[in-house]
Amino acid sequence: MHGEIDQVRNEALAALAAAQTSSALAEWHSHYLGRRGVLTQLMRQISQIPPTERPAYGQAVNALKEELSAAFTARQQEVSAQELAQQLTAETVDVTLPGRQPTLGTLHPVTAMIREVTGIFARLGFQVVEGPEVEYSAYAFDALNIPQDHPARDVWDTIYIDSPGREIVLRPHTSPMQIRVMEQRQPPIRVVVPGRCYRYEAVDATHEWHFHQIEGLAVDEHITMADLKGTLAAFARQLFGQERRVRFRCDYFPFVEPGVDFAIDCMFCHGEGCRVCKGTGWIEILGAGMVHPQVLRNVGYDPERYTGWAFGMGVERLVMLKYGVPDIRLFYQGDLRFLAQFSRTTVW
Amino acid sequence: MRVSVRWLRELVPTELSTEAIAERLTLAGLAVEAIERIGEHWEKIFTGLVEAIAPHPNADRLVLATVAAGTHRLTVVTGAPNIAVGQKVALALPGATLYDGHSIEPRLMTLTPSTIRGIRSEGMVCSEKELGLSDDHEGIMVLPDDTPVGVPLADVLGDEVLEIEITPNLVHAFSMIGIARELGALTKQPVNYPALAELAPCGDPTLVAIDASDLCARFVGVVIEGVEPVPSPWWMQQRLRVAGMRPINAIVDITNYVMLEYGQPQHAYDRARLHGGRLIARRARPGETLETIDHVHRTLDPDTLVIADEERAVGIAGIMGGRESEIDEETRVVLLETANFDMRSIRRTARAQRLRTEASARFERGLDPNLAWTATRRAVMLFQQLFPQSRITNVADVYPHPRFPRQIQVPRREIPRLLGTDFSDDEILDVLHRLELAPEVIQEGHEQVIVVTVPTYRSDLTIKADIVEEIARVIGYDKLPERLPVGQTVPVEVDPLLQLVRAVQDTLVGEGLTEIITYPMIDEAALRALDPAEREAPNRYGFFARPDLPLVRAVNPIRPEWSMMRPSLLPTLLRAGAEHLKFNAAVSIFEVGKVYLPRGGDQLPDERRVVGCLLAGVQHVRDLYHEERPVDFFDLKGTIEVLLPRVGALDVTFRPLAHPSLHPGRAAEIVVKGEPVGVLGEVHPLVAEHYGIERHHRVVAAEIDLSALLALGLEPISVHPVSRFQPIEQDFAIVVDEAVPAALVTEAVRLGAGPLATNVRLFDVYRGPAIPAGKKSLAFRVTFSALDQPLSDEQLASIRETIARVVHERVGGALRQ
Repeated sequence: MHGEIDQVRNEALAALAAAQTSSALAEWHSHYLGRRGVLTQLMRQISQIPPTERPAYGQAVNALKEELSAAFTARQQEVSAQELAQQLTAETVDVTLPGRQPTLGTLHPVTAMIREVTGIFARLGFQVVEGPEVEYSAYAFDALNIPQDHPARDVWDTIYIDSPGREIVLRPHTSPMQIRVMEQRQPPIRVVVPGRCYRYEAVDATHEWHFHQIEGLAVDEHITMADLKGTLAAFARQLFGQERRVRFRCDYFPFVEPGVDFAIDCMFCHGEGCRVCKGTGWIEILGAGMVHPQVLRNVGYDPERYTGWAFGMGVERLVMLKYGVPDIRLFYQGDLRFLAQFSRTTVW
Repeated sequence: MRVSVRWLRELVPTELSTEAIAERLTLAGLAVEAIERIGEHWEKIFTGLVEAIAPHPNADRLVLATVAAGTHRLTVVTGAPNIAVGQKVALALPGATLYDGHSIEPRLMTLTPSTIRGIRSEGMVCSEKELGLSDDHEGIMVLPDDTPVGVPLADVLGDEVLEIEITPNLVHAFSMIGIARELGALTKQPVNYPALAELAPCGDPTLVAIDASDLCARFVGVVIEGVEPVPSPWWMQQRLRVAGMRPINAIVDITNYVMLEYGQPQHAYDRARLHGGRLIARRARPGETLETIDHVHRTLDPDTLVIADEERAVGIAGIMGGRESEIDEETRVVLLETANFDMRSIRRTARAQRLRTEASARFERGLDPNLAWTATRRAVMLFQQLFPQSRITNVADVYPHPRFPRQIQVPRREIPRLLGTDFSDDEILDVLHRLELAPEVIQEGHEQVIVVTVPTYRSDLTIKADIVEEIARVIGYDKLPERLPVGQTVPVEVDPLLQLVRAVQDTLVGEGLTEIITYPMIDEAALRALDPAEREAPNRYGFFARPDLPLVRAVNPIRPEWSMMRPSLLPTLLRAGAEHLKFNAAVSIFEVGKVYLPRGGDQLPDERRVVGCLLAGVQHVRDLYHEERPVDFFDLKGTIEVLLPRVGALDVTFRPLAHPSLHPGRAAEIVVKGEPVGVLGEVHPLVAEHYGIERHHRVVAAEIDLSALLALGLEPISVHPVSRFQPIEQDFAIVVDEAVPAALVTEAVRLGAGPLATNVRLFDVYRGPAIPAGKKSLAFRVTFSALDQPLSDEQLASIRETIARVVHERVGGALRQ
């Protein structure tokens, strides 16, 4: 009888080695080790064995069963590993095919620049406030020391709004918010005001009738022009690079005195002179100055006690300088292919 | 203002290069916008003498001119009609760079020797246009007789021109003398003032009169006899030309020259043509008309200040003279008007007449009345130089309220108080002296005060801050240190509306929409286009009801299509969408901007912050993974459903909406906490078409009033614990009538499922043979989870029963088994 056990063993191990797939293995298992399998049959034959040999026969069958079980487990692991390897091989893709990309939109570059600039000033302690675009002339001009019939008004070619009473305009600058803020608060004041402005102006590559400005205002005791220069320098260096040199030149705005134009050295030619800086080596980026005493008086502040400074800059110009945008019309008349290029804009 | 550097250097001798002069002036407030170089191309152009002229053997209209220049003696073929023997001319040699005389645009070319009708031309005599001096190409330029021959033309005529921007406050620098004074103060050089005639009133004092003393502060009249309208001398013409003015004749040129030199406009009248031979400054009479020297007949309103003779207006004061009394060939006696007019009046009239002249630009800035006398003396000096035989027969000066220098007291500490830095007393006083401000230091109590005496020509200096600026700009702002403000720090608050705007922008960008900014102005046609029939503006603009009041309207719009402030983002979004669809198959855009709702009267409009979204074209361009399909209602609804909770609006519902501009079956009102805050829907195809979007495109738009949303209160983040037990998902299919909105069924399921349901998701809508006709089956997957225990089968069975009961009661639905 032991010969039969050996034969089963040899056959079973050979068949196991030949099984290449999980299903062949399952078949093998049920054939040999299943409830009605070969080993069960062998064990049943024990009744036909002389009683004295029965213990030895039983042990031999059991030993074979254990051996085959162990061999099966080992083989199963092998086959499973093989099969996984085959599956993975079969699943190979062309990794250079495009992925499934979620669509991402883009902030308008003007929004991004307003965030960047107001962010810089917020870190310097300035609060961001906004104000009306449709504004009384009294705020847009008179309170800012720009009288009616004064040539200074020509600087702001203005769009007027139909009004039965007080003169109303589309604000040509964000400066009226200087007045509104000072009327609503008491010093110390430190605010920046982003917003849309409008001018009665022909549109060309560098002029828009609709554009954005950011106004800044600081009023307190002991506010000086040296602070203005330092604050603007800190701002310009954060926006345009730490190596920027800065320059004030005398300029005239009726609501400041002294008034200046603030320039940085040209980052395109490093001050050598190029087309962007018109050969001067300097790029003027904003107008500024000490708040005119008359403006302080107009809001009920005592100019002997308080001093202040204000500045105003064009947002589109900053974007054009920072990213080399050639034509201001692209901002509002351009299309998505222009805007999409700002998807890498760093936003704080 | 165009400033000849040659002339400037004559007034202020300086070693500085032209670039350095430009920089000094710029930093001090006289912005030099450009430096033009006259003659920079003139390397091979010399002065020459026309020695002989012979006819061209083969051409009637051409001549052969022999032109000598130094050792050269060239034969030049020319067709210039004005060439004559003995003339001094500009001679260009081969290789010279010239402007093309026949090109309208300035175009440079190089002169090559050429053969014209068989005769070789060895050079060229040049017109002003070819030299880049003017547009004159009528004939050759003839140089003055005393021009040396054979020298580079640049030595005779070359110049540099500073283009200086004169800001509105700078009347004192709106002249050569003014610029020279500035440069002198900046470079510590004295100014060489021109010679003035000695003059005193004589003859008839009523030669001139002021009949509107509020508009005319001074009127000086001088009668000069024995003059003729001959050409003015070359040097004067040249300076006028460089400044951009056209020489006319000596009489007119003198007045223009004095204006350039001193900044005081003057006008010369032919006295023979003046009724009564005298001039009066008065207001125009009702309906009075005048033909000005530009040949325009003008009707003058009664606020216009005119210069009149005894019968009629002969000039618009400070702006332009009249044609009838203009200097002409027969003029022999001139009445020279030098006056001071009210700046506001001149400005109003110049605007009303749409006539800005060199004179009005100066008067508008507020001239010094004392300048009128100086300018008169200067003009008389020039008349005497140019017309040695002329006689001054009458000088009248009406100046009822003479103006005197003012004093300004500047406390010494004001300088550091404003500037944040200080300069030495010596430096400060030196600057003030150089500016002719005659500073004196006095002691007032404990305080030092600098008293300056401001010459009347410095009308821009009125307060102590002006004097501080003078000191700073002359010493130089580069001396100002860079510091940060000191003082009390104020907590920086954040405006919640700005926070909401930022969150909306960021969320929409994350959802794949691109932000646009549009002009916020529209016209009536854009509003009518919101109505499918385009008959009249609909009763609703996007989210907003049509206001009862007229919209905010510009008096002087840039273009008619930008005449009104938009009452909704919808028109500008649609316009942008149509534009973008031309170049993009898939358009998904948004704008966060304002709408401007009228409040009536002279109140400012209600500027509300609104977000508008628009999807158009295809939802996704075709790629490996997506088939292309048109956008529809649910694409944008999903965007809004993500947006609103993200910014803190949790109680959001959508109600079917009948809206004039939207698809009648695909439009919804967006409701937060029971209040409408926006609209959403597919744009009515006819409305889209009115905006230029072709019918085959679907367009979905939404508009949400962020100001209203914020006013409703946005929920902060609230955190609740999560269960550690395995959640259980169960599906429920509810059969309801077709008409029952899904939102009601969902709400019923949620109610029935009770607090253990953490998520209710509608995942299928089925219509078909398995359910009765007129019904639909909505399949929900509900996730259950309890905090403290695993859910038992009994609990789930009980919940199932509750759901069945609630959907039956609420929406007449049946739970399919």
